[in-house]
Amino acid sequence: MDHTLILNTSMLLTLAVLSTPIIFPLLSDNLKSSPTVIVRTVKTSFFISLIPMTVFIHSGVESLTSCWKWEFIMNFKIPISLKMDFYSIMFFPIALFVSWSILQFATWYMASDPHITKFFIYLLLFLIAMLILILANNLFLLFIGWEGVGIMSFLLISWWHGRAEANTAALQAVLYNRVGDVGLILCMAWLASATNTWEIHQASSHVQIPTLPLMGLVLAAAGKSAQFGLHPWLPAAMEGPTPVSALLHSSTMVVAGIFLLIRTHPMYHNNPTVLTFCLCLGALSTLFASMCALTQNDIKKIIAFSTSSQLGLMMVAIGLNLPQLAFLHISTHAFFKAMLFLCSGSIIHSLNGEQDIRKMGGIQKMLPTTSSCLTIGSLALMGTPFLAGFYSKDLIIESLTTSYLNSWALLLTLLATSFTAVYTLRMILLVQTGFPRIPPVVTMNENNPAILAPITRLALGSIVAGFIITSYIPPVKTPPMTMPPSIKFTAIIVTILGVVVALELSNLSKAHIKPKRNLFSDFSSSLGYFNPLVHRFSTTNLLGGSQNIASHLIDHSWLKMAGPEGLATLQQMAAKTTTSLHSGSIKSYLGAIALSIIIMLLSS
Amino acid sequence: MGAHLARRYLWDAEAEPDPLQMPTFPAELGLPQRRPRAMVASAEQLAQGRVPLDQRDFCGHHLLRLLRCHRDNFPVPWGCHELRHAWDSCQHHE
Repeated sequence: MDHTLILNTSMLLTLAVLSTPIIFPLLSDNLKSSPTVIVRTVKTSFFISLIPMTVFIHSGVESLTSCWKWEFIMNFKIPISLKMDFYSIMFFPIALFVSWSILQFATWYMASDPHITKFFIYLLLFLIAMLILILANNLFLLFIGWEGVGIMSFLLISWWHGRAEANTAALQAVLYNRVGDVGLILCMAWLASATNTWEIHQASSHVQIPTLPLMGLVLAAAGKSAQFGLHPWLPAAMEGPTPVSALLHSSTMVVAGIFLLIRTHPMYHNNPTVLTFCLCLGALSTLFASMCALTQNDIKKIIAFSTSSQLGLMMVAIGLNLPQLAFLHISTHAFFKAMLFLCSGSIIHSLNGEQDIRKMGGIQKMLPTTSSCLTIGSLALMGTPFLAGFYSKDLIIESLTTSYLNSWALLLTLLATSFTAVYTLRMILLVQTGFPRIPPVVTMNENNPAILAPITRLALGSIVAGFIITSYIPPVKTPPMTMPPSIKFTAIIVTILGVVVALELSNLSKAHIKPKRNLFSDFSSSLGYFNPLVHRFSTTNLLGGSQNIASHLIDHSWLKMAGPEGLATLQQMAAKTTTSLHSGSIKSYLGAIALSIIIMLLSS
Repeated sequence: MGAHLARRYLWDAEAEPDPLQMPTFPAELGLPQRRPRAMVASAEQLAQGRVPLDQRDFCGHHLLRLLRCHRDNFPVPWGCHELRHAWDSCQHHE
C-alpha cells in the first residue's frame, strides 16, 4: 500500500472539499451555499483529514509535494511545494475540528444576521488561507496564506461595520500585522538574494543566515501572534463576532506567527541572539498580557488577554529551542481556548449582549452545561494535571526551570502562570457563582444542539487531546528526565498560589472593603499605558514634527526668513540708519558732501 | 529551585560549572575497563525507520523497537510502556 499516495491524496482532497462551497455557487445558481452546507463541508473535511493523520501515526510517513514551478525570473523558480510533515498533518484535523464546532455554534449565534451566508463564506476563506499557510513549504506560498488570513481577519473584525469601534479595531489589526509583514518581506528578500530560493529546507541547509533576516522573521511572528509591542490589536479584535474571536483570534490565525517560527526553526536553531530574543520577548508578553487581564471586566477581553499570554508562552518554548513543545501547546490551546470563547458567546447571547462580568452571576444554575464547560476550559488553561493544557504547559515550565537560561524570563513566566490562575478564577467566580446581577427579565435557554454539541465536543477535546497527542507522538527532543521535587512541582505550586490569592481577593470583595487605587491597579487597568503612548504620543510627535518641518521650516524659515523677509529686515536696518541722516539741515548735507569728497580723494 | 543559578552567581566555576564551558574529561577516567560506545542500530536501519536526525544517537535501537511496537499495536497507544521506559532510561543515562 502506497502510504505516500494516500497521504497526498487525502490532504489535497481535504482542501478540495473545503473549497466546494465557494466554487460551486460560481458555476451554477442551483448550487448555492448555506450555513448548514458549509458546516457539513467542514465536518466532512475533518473526517477526511483523519486519514493522513492515521497514516502518519501508523507508519511515520511524511511527504514533500512540489508541482508547477513559476519561472519568476531566470534562475529563480517558485514551485507550489506542500510539506506534509508532522506539523501540518497533526494541525489539519485539529484546525478542522475546532472550525467545525465554531461554525456549528455560529449557526445559532449569527442566526439573526441577514448576511449569515456571507459570514460563513468569509470564515471558510479564512480557513482555506490558514491551511495553505500550514501546508506551505516555501515562503512565497506561506506569504499568500499569511496575507489571506490577515485580509479575512480585517473583514471579519469589521463585520458589524456600522460600529466605529469595529472599524477602528479592524484597521488596528491590519496596521499592526503590516508592521510584522515588513519583517517577513525583509527575510524573503534576503533569502532570495543570498540563497536564491524561498524553499525553507533549502534555505536552512545552505548558509549560516545572519541575524537581521532572522529578526525579521521574529518581527513577523511578533506582529501576527500579538507579542509585546505589537499586541494591542488582539484585545481590540474582540469587536468582531464571537465565532470570529473563537476561530481567528484564539486558535488559528494568531498561532500563524508561532507556526512560522516552528517551520523556520532550522534557520535559527544555532543563533543564540535570536533564541534569547524570542525567550525574553515571550516572557515579557506572557507577563504583560496576564497583568492586563487581571483588571478586565469584559469577558471576551479577559479571554483575549489570556490568548496573548499563552502565545507568549509559545514564544518562550521557541526561545528554549523546543519548537515541538510550542506546537503541542498550539494544539492543546486550540481546544480549550475555542471552548472558552464559545461558552462566553453562549453567555453573552443569553444575556442579550451583556459582556461585563460584573453584570453576570449565578450563571451556573441557569446555563449548567455552558458553566461546566467554562470551568473545564479554565482548569485546562490553568494547567490542571492531566487535562489538555497540562501536557504542554507543564513541559514548557519544566524545561524552562531545568535549563540554564535566563532566570529573568523564568521568573516572569512563573509570575504569569500564577496570574493566569488569578484572572481565570476571578472570571469563573464572577460569572458563575454568587447572586445573579443580571436584568430580571432574561430568557435563557441553552437547550439547543447548535450550542451544546460544539461546546461539549470541545470540552471532550480539552480533556483528552493532550493525552492522545502525547501518547501517539514520541518526543523529538528528550524532555528533562530527573529534577528535584521542588522544580517538578513549580508549575502546580505557582498555580495553587494564584488560586489562593484569587479566593482571598474574592472574599475581600464580599466583605465590601473598598479597593484602594494604586500604581499597579492603574497600570493593569490602563493596559500598561501602551495604547495612548504608542497610538497618541508617537503619532502626535511625528505629525507635529512633520507639520513643523513642512510649514514652519520650509515656508516660514527658508521661504520667509532666509528669503525676502530676511532680506527686507536687513534692508530695514540700513534704511533706518540712513533715514535719520535726512534731517533737512544744510550743515549735515554739507558735511556729507565733504565726507564723500574726502573718501574719493583718499581712494584715488 | 534555581539553586544552580544562585551557585553560579555566588561562587565560581568550582562550585557550579559554566554551562558554556563545561569541563571535559577523558572517557576512561576512573574506569579502566570502559570500552568506547558502539551504535547498536546501523545507519541503514535508522534511515529505514525514518528516525529524525536528532534522534539517531546511541539509544536509537530502543527508539526503533518502540516505533515498531507502536506500529504493531496501532491504534492502541498503550502496551509499549516497557520499551518507552527503556528508551527514556537510555536517554537519561546518555
